[in-house]
Amino acid sequence: MRSPALAIGWEFRRRHRWGLIAVAGYLFVVATIRFLILEPGEPVLVDSIRFAAVVSVPLTTTFVYLLAVFSFGFAGDLAARHSMYPARMFTLPVTNAALVGWPMLYGTAAMAILWLAARLFAVWPSGIEIPLIWPALLAAALLAWTQALTWMPYGLPGIRLIVAVLCLAALDTVVLLAIHFKAREPMMLAILAPQVPLAYLVARFAVARARRGDVPDWRGLSARSGEIADLLPRPRDHFSSPGRAQVWFEWRRHGRSLPALVGLVLLFELALLWLANDATAFVFEILFLALITPPFMAAFTGWTVSKPNPNVSDSYGVPPFIATRPLTSAELIVAKLKMAIWSTLAAWLLVFVTTPLALAWSGTWSVLMERAQRLNDAIGTTRAVAFVLLILVGFIVSTWKQLVQSLHIGLTGREWLIKGSVLLTLTFLILLGPIVEWIIDSPGVQRALWNALPLILAGLVGLKMSAAAWIATRLDRHRLLGDRALVVGAACWCAAVLALYGVLVWFFSTPFVARYLLALIAILAVPLARLLAAPLALAWNRHR
Amino acid sequence: MESHNNATSLCAITRWFTVSESVVTVSELTRRFGATTALASVSWSMPRGAVYGLVGANGAGKTTLIKHILGLLRAESGSVRVFGLDPVADPVAVLSRIGYLSEENDLPGWMRVDELIRYTSAFYPKWDDAYADELRRAFALDPAAKVKELSRGQKARAGLLIALAHRPELLVLDEPSSGLDPIVRRDILGAVIRTIADEGRTVLFSSHLLDEVEEVADHVTMIASGRIVLSAPLADLKESHRAGGCVPSLNEIFVARVGAAASPAPDP
Repeated sequence: MRSPALAIGWEFRRRHRWGLIAVAGYLFVVATIRFLILEPGEPVLVDSIRFAAVVSVPLTTTFVYLLAVFSFGFAGDLAARHSMYPARMFTLPVTNAALVGWPMLYGTAAMAILWLAARLFAVWPSGIEIPLIWPALLAAALLAWTQALTWMPYGLPGIRLIVAVLCLAALDTVVLLAIHFKAREPMMLAILAPQVPLAYLVARFAVARARRGDVPDWRGLSARSGEIADLLPRPRDHFSSPGRAQVWFEWRRHGRSLPALVGLVLLFELALLWLANDATAFVFEILFLALITPPFMAAFTGWTVSKPNPNVSDSYGVPPFIATRPLTSAELIVAKLKMAIWSTLAAWLLVFVTTPLALAWSGTWSVLMERAQRLNDAIGTTRAVAFVLLILVGFIVSTWKQLVQSLHIGLTGREWLIKGSVLLTLTFLILLGPIVEWIIDSPGVQRALWNALPLILAGLVGLKMSAAAWIATRLDRHRLLGDRALVVGAACWCAAVLALYGVLVWFFSTPFVARYLLALIAILAVPLARLLAAPLALAWNRHR
Repeated sequence: MESHNNATSLCAITRWFTVSESVVTVSELTRRFGATTALASVSWSMPRGAVYGLVGANGAGKTTLIKHILGLLRAESGSVRVFGLDPVADPVAVLSRIGYLSEENDLPGWMRVDELIRYTSAFYPKWDDAYADELRRAFALDPAAKVKELSRGQKARAGLLIALAHRPELLVLDEPSSGLDPIVRRDILGAVIRTIADEGRTVLFSSHLLDEVEEVADHVTMIASGRIVLSAPLADLKESHRAGGCVPSLNEIFVARVGAAASPAPDP
């Protein structure tokens, strides 16, 4: 192996050989079906479930997998500020052009081959004309832009995700618009052909910056506030307890990310109110966006909260500085949970302050009031207020839940478990669409599901409570939580379930919904097993 | 003359009592990482009031042993007791009595020095503010400086400050001076000496810089390929290796006893 190109290619092949073998195996299977089992020319409807299961889902999964492989996504930290390009490669005696060019060439070639192979083997005659070239170019362009945007160093943690999602969604939108207006193949090629060279230039700039250690630091914004804070008397007194000190530590390390991200996104979202011109639907869409922003952002920042060592991209162990704190694993988790509460409240304070101000200044307040009046007239003041409060509380609790729900996975520090759970989640999300579509299209399935709903809910409750009991036993056996803490925790959880059940019974006072169903829903809605598992996961990681 | 003899024997008895009480007891400890045996049936104890030098080649198992003492690794087989307690089952009781300076020195870069001191002080009931301030001045650490802006030597000093300021019963220094300049190394050795001056305190000092260990340790444990090759008071060790009236250095003893046997096994 005497060339850098071969060495870089070898690394991709060697490291991801099992995944690439699986992709090749899939293509082999569909080619066998295509050429040996199906009758020549047998039509297959594009929107059929069979097509989704055999072609769409595996192809989408493979596409996402190849994106991660060729952008070094498996070893990097999406939420970090520094480049995801492996720093160890910066010291290789090769040019930036080679560092960028070879992975991009291999990646774009892999994407193009994937589409062409799928087009040849998997996309059977279906009665519609399926283009040959531009989808391959689109896949290559999406990969090239993913590489460029993930290899770029950013000024704030989490910005990479937002920029990447926005840019890739913009490219997708352009292509969808072109399809909508029935653009021909040459037009599609004209749109997509410049994307790869453009992305290459951006990636070269990104890698050059990262290679010379030029990572912008926009945390200066918070440092500015720190300078202002310096003018105030600095707290000199001691923390009243180790637990408070740890909450302060978690807040400084993770707590401010969510409010900062929410503030940044809200600015753009609420600015759209000035374009609404009293269009009710548009105003409510923007309001919905504003309300969904904290839980959506919390899903991303939750990743960093659940990482034991967010400063090191590919380290999953608890850093010795934290592991040697004289605190129990449960106390370390409690600090994270409290930080998540403060972070959630700060993010929602921003929403509650900025949204009414933006509504008032943009002149769209009246639209909201008019709809509120209608709701009031329809269901009465008490129920209307309860309804709105319930929605807001639901969003707030959901934000907190998003921040803490992956603690039990991330804190285990086991790479196979973390990556396995990501893969499972992705698979679930990919399968969700076709399954929902199948249910919507099948009245028989809907009936069966509705009839089996109590059984399904009861089964889920059984699973949840069994898992919680098993985890509680382990916590007790390992002395991670005392008897008193377990009893108090169980009492608090029961109180929360009862409160939610009460609200649901009051709100859905209809004979069509059985009360035991509401009770099952309340039990499932209040988090228990995953939160209980977090100290166990941390202890497993802390004492390896 | 008689009173002097009485005082000497009293000191000897006191020393015997303090030394006989083990701070750390490791019994039949074995640890494997995949196919590699990092520690192979290690039995070892560390009496109170001693300065222990833990020496060995890179990958010999020093850090693995220290991580077991801190409870960062769970004993696969055998047992570890620190102050008579299991450091995994009872981390708070054990860790609150230990000062630890990690080889990695992973202090949070975003903290200011004064924040680091304020934060760390919350965990130790015996934290001594005056002593912390004295150490900060001695180490010339600016309280307003961020940890990430400190040089490597200053970071080591900051780490040392928070390891010492609660006057721990056991000070654990894991390769504290590797890669540091002679001035910082002097500070670290000074800290060890200062800790020894506090009666009844114990120091575990892991290093492969044997001249440093020789300077401060009164007991040396040599480890190679996950096994304890020898463990003895330094004076006894030198005496037993004396050849032709010449007292060997620790370096010479190490080469003679460990030599080619020190085939490295990776530390985790």
